[in-house]
Amino acid sequence: MITRKWIERIEGEASVQFTFEHNKVSFATIAFPHFRGMEAILHARPAMDALVITPRVCGICGHSHLFAAVRAIESVYANSGFPLEISPKAEALRELTLSLELIQNHFKWLYLVIYPELSHLVQCPIADSFRLKGAYAASLATKVLAIFAGQWPHSSYMIPGGVTCDPTYVDTVRAMGLLDELIRWFEKELTGISLEEYLHLSSTKALSRLSGDMGDLDKMLRAANMHKQGFSYDRYCVLGEHGFSKPSKNINKRTTKVNAKQVTLENPYTVDEKTYAKNALYQNNPFETGPLARAIINGIPLIKHLHRSFRDSTYSRIMARSYEIALLLNHCKILLQSIRLDEPSFIEPHKKITSLSGEGVGIVEAPRGPLMHKVTLNKGIIDHYALITPTQWNLASGSPQTPGPAQKAMIGADSIEIATFTFRAFDVCSVCTTH
Amino acid sequence: MKPRLKLLWLQGVTCNGNTHSFLNYPHLSYILETFEFLYHPLLPSTYTLEEISTCAHECDILVFEGAYDPRMERVGTSLERVVHHYGNHARYIIAAGSCASFGGMFKHSDPEHITGLGFDEKEPKGPFVKNSKLINLSGCPIHPEWMGYTLRMIADNKPISIDELHRPKELYSYLAHHGCTRNEYFEWKVDSDHFGTKEGCLFYKQGCRGPMTHASCNKILWNDVSSKTRAGSPCFGCTEPDFPRTNMFETKTNMSIPQDVPVGISKRSYLTMAGIAKSFHIPRLEKRLIDDNT
Repeated sequence: MITRKWIERIEGEASVQFTFEHNKVSFATIAFPHFRGMEAILHARPAMDALVITPRVCGICGHSHLFAAVRAIESVYANSGFPLEISPKAEALRELTLSLELIQNHFKWLYLVIYPELSHLVQCPIADSFRLKGAYAASLATKVLAIFAGQWPHSSYMIPGGVTCDPTYVDTVRAMGLLDELIRWFEKELTGISLEEYLHLSSTKALSRLSGDMGDLDKMLRAANMHKQGFSYDRYCVLGEHGFSKPSKNINKRTTKVNAKQVTLENPYTVDEKTYAKNALYQNNPFETGPLARAIINGIPLIKHLHRSFRDSTYSRIMARSYEIALLLNHCKILLQSIRLDEPSFIEPHKKITSLSGEGVGIVEAPRGPLMHKVTLNKGIIDHYALITPTQWNLASGSPQTPGPAQKAMIGADSIEIATFTFRAFDVCSVCTTH
Repeated sequence: MKPRLKLLWLQGVTCNGNTHSFLNYPHLSYILETFEFLYHPLLPSTYTLEEISTCAHECDILVFEGAYDPRMERVGTSLERVVHHYGNHARYIIAAGSCASFGGMFKHSDPEHITGLGFDEKEPKGPFVKNSKLINLSGCPIHPEWMGYTLRMIADNKPISIDELHRPKELYSYLAHHGCTRNEYFEWKVDSDHFGTKEGCLFYKQGCRGPMTHASCNKILWNDVSSKTRAGSPCFGCTEPDFPRTNMFETKTNMSIPQDVPVGISKRSYLTMAGIAKSFHIPRLEKRLIDDNT
């Protein structure tokens, strides 16, 4: 029996076709019906326009697109023999604002998607105002981001050679005040213990003892048996290099090097249904990307411990992502304190962009995993632009022989409700997937 | 308690940026108390999009995000049918963002078919042409406070006066230039030599559209804290019908004179005034604002 289900309340919409055998999901295909042709919009435009256009790929992770676009153009400079110098200050600001975008995304996903769906599954209704907690926390994070980037969403403040802003300590002090407020809110609402104590947890037992929303999340996920399902390949890939992530892959608990040149695209597999998303693979194999992948590869003690017992279950996936909020909050605090404002924000490239030709690749870790921008410039004009987004990895629609990570995770689910929750745990974003 | 106004938030060809920008609005609890969301992509809603698509309901306010493509389907239903049904019954139609207002970024996906709700750039086109119910809140994305203002004015039964492009005058009579922290550099024609400084005006080289763009970004700050020009980025003119233009980080000049001059000022007046201002050298404006940081 095949049942088609529209998945709403995600970024955009998706259609999932479930095949049931013996009252369990035996296979599922994923289709994304909308396409905007971002790569074509970029064609024949001056390179710098990519910094305005690519953030508009996605309303929730546009800042990641901006960072990937800047890295792609800087990589064209480097490949043409003119590597750009970026000041540590500009590097730190870029990483700070990227981290803040990840934080806002995680908060919204947790409170506006996961909690409402989970409370429905375990029949424990939550108040509307509870969901607004996600928007509140996200808006505090974007406020800090906007102090440096001017606004969120859709800032264009990263440019080849640095950043456009020139903050004073008045700005960083204000940012620290707001970040402290967000951390205090996080401690009060989510954990009931200090951020520092939380970051030192190394056993899953401690999670269920937490008094805040994280404690409830742990209990609800277990009540819904999420620690016993949603298993995928247990194979992970990180491609973006940052203070919070290192490019590597992890197969059978072994972490080894990666080379982004091994990333390939394959046509999606669907039945009688049009989809615009291509599957992203590493050495022709599906890999899971995103917070769980980053935590496994970084060897975060709590997540490693959790993974030993519950492997890549939906429980692990959700807990890893929620825990990344804490890791990133701490990372932001360290970054903010490290910034030296006497350094330049921007170092002018020696070569004019209008005389720049060649290819470049920019990779960052976006909220859901690696985001790649590939650009070919001809005298500063975009000849070719290609995007590979994190959701093309996780939400790939493969054949029954090689299903994508989310497809595989849904197999074995007892009901469509369970399967769609499993799907949402990957944080579905249709606008990035098809772009 | 007054019955809540029924608000429906639909999406066309979009990046969801207006949804996410509005989630930054500091008074969302007021919004949830005052409006019943029949459907919203993320906020608590009465119905699913599939239920809304049956056209069995009616709303007081239709908010539409994204460009309009009559051939588009959402959850398997014609967008044209759904938009007409709800738009025709609504008391107000709000175009949230530049795509819904003028076609914006995603008009470029298919310029022949895609438009805004009542405009194709500046030209009247789309499902609600010359419709007095239409309010355009252009901007890429929408500013949360601008949406908050509009919804509260509607809830309080106060009139919203609009300009010829259907944008509320109280929000769009200002220029992005108003309140810019670089205004003095503009007055005395001191350019910013390069990006990454708080000094200098971005109008002469870096492509800033502030003096030509109707938007209150430097009056009502973004995320309550800043704006593009305050963060050293040029204004890209994202509230205007011609957004996105090309070559957005560079000022188009003819014989080193900016091609476009501030709104409503003749080129001759501008050049006369600029020539005089530029002839003075003002050391205070030519050096760093705070000298111990350099």
